[in-house]
Amino acid sequence: MHEASIAGSLLEIVSEQCRKSGYRRIDSINVKIGRASGIMSDALIFAFDAIKSGSVAKDAVLNIESVPVGGHCRDCNTVFTVEEEYVLNCPRCGGVSFSVTSGRELDVVDMEVSDEG
Amino acid sequence: MKVKVVTKILEANDRLALENRKLFDKARVFVINLMSGPGAGKTSLLEKTLSSKTGLNIGVIEGDIAGSDDAERIERLGFPVVQINTGGACHLDANMINEVLDDLPLEGLDIVFIENVGNLVCPAEFKVGENIKVMILSIAEGHDKPLKYPLMFQESSALILNKMDLVPYTDVNIAKIRKDSLSLNPELKIFEVSCRTGQGIPEWLHWLKERAQKT
Repeated sequence: MHEASIAGSLLEIVSEQCRKSGYRRIDSINVKIGRASGIMSDALIFAFDAIKSGSVAKDAVLNIESVPVGGHCRDCNTVFTVEEEYVLNCPRCGGVSFSVTSGRELDVVDMEVSDEG
Repeated sequence: MKVKVVTKILEANDRLALENRKLFDKARVFVINLMSGPGAGKTSLLEKTLSSKTGLNIGVIEGDIAGSDDAERIERLGFPVVQINTGGACHLDANMINEVLDDLPLEGLDIVFIENVGNLVCPAEFKVGENIKVMILSIAEGHDKPLKYPLMFQESSALILNKMDLVPYTDVNIAKIRKDSLSLNPELKIFEVSCRTGQGIPEWLHWLKERAQKT
């Protein structure tokens, strides 16, 4: 629902890195978005495309890797992922002694840049 | 050429939240980020809390998309309050809080409530510098809400089930709300409350005082 402000933060992060390192153009950006982060990929791309004009990322393509919710069960020592945005029980043994280890990501991973504008 | 970035997109917000938190800690004030969907009773719970003669010095930051109705309700009770209008944004963020901190007499306060924008989704994502998050679900919203909006239930320290006086007029399954909420968050403290009748308010105040003193 707040994809626009997330897109704004993302643009700030990559622009800052370009300023520091002297890159003139971003061709693509890879980000990881957890399925439990509340952020919809389509809406994020839409928002990013709307605000990128005039910036160093004006031609950048945003590639989004969606990360499923996953966890580790301490009862049966299984690493698992689920379809839902939450985990109530370990899908293998049904136990409730698990930790959620993925699904909340909102991370910039890397980007393809060039020195020429 | 490919360059690593490896940055959390919310890092700037988290950093500002930490700065806010340091200011709160320095003033020895306990801060609660109060969240719920629209109309669940955030301002009503604050009114009940403020008018209960707790002996606590409480300040309030009101977050709304527009208007100052909520701040006026708090001001009438004689407590320091600041209104933030987000101008469309669906949640408060750390920067908005940072900008109004000078408007509250932090040094003289024991507790600050930050009443977030009415929204069951986004406020849970953004740290604002709080010690704990507390959420309200009014029972008429339905018992399917914990599993539909899991994040807020997972992030909160306490869940206030408000409008309990309406239970006889609805088909709501309170046991299911409790069970699903606790499955999502076994540490969650649940209070059954009616801001209208005052039911459950003493238990909430007792817990509030204890948490504030412990910190």
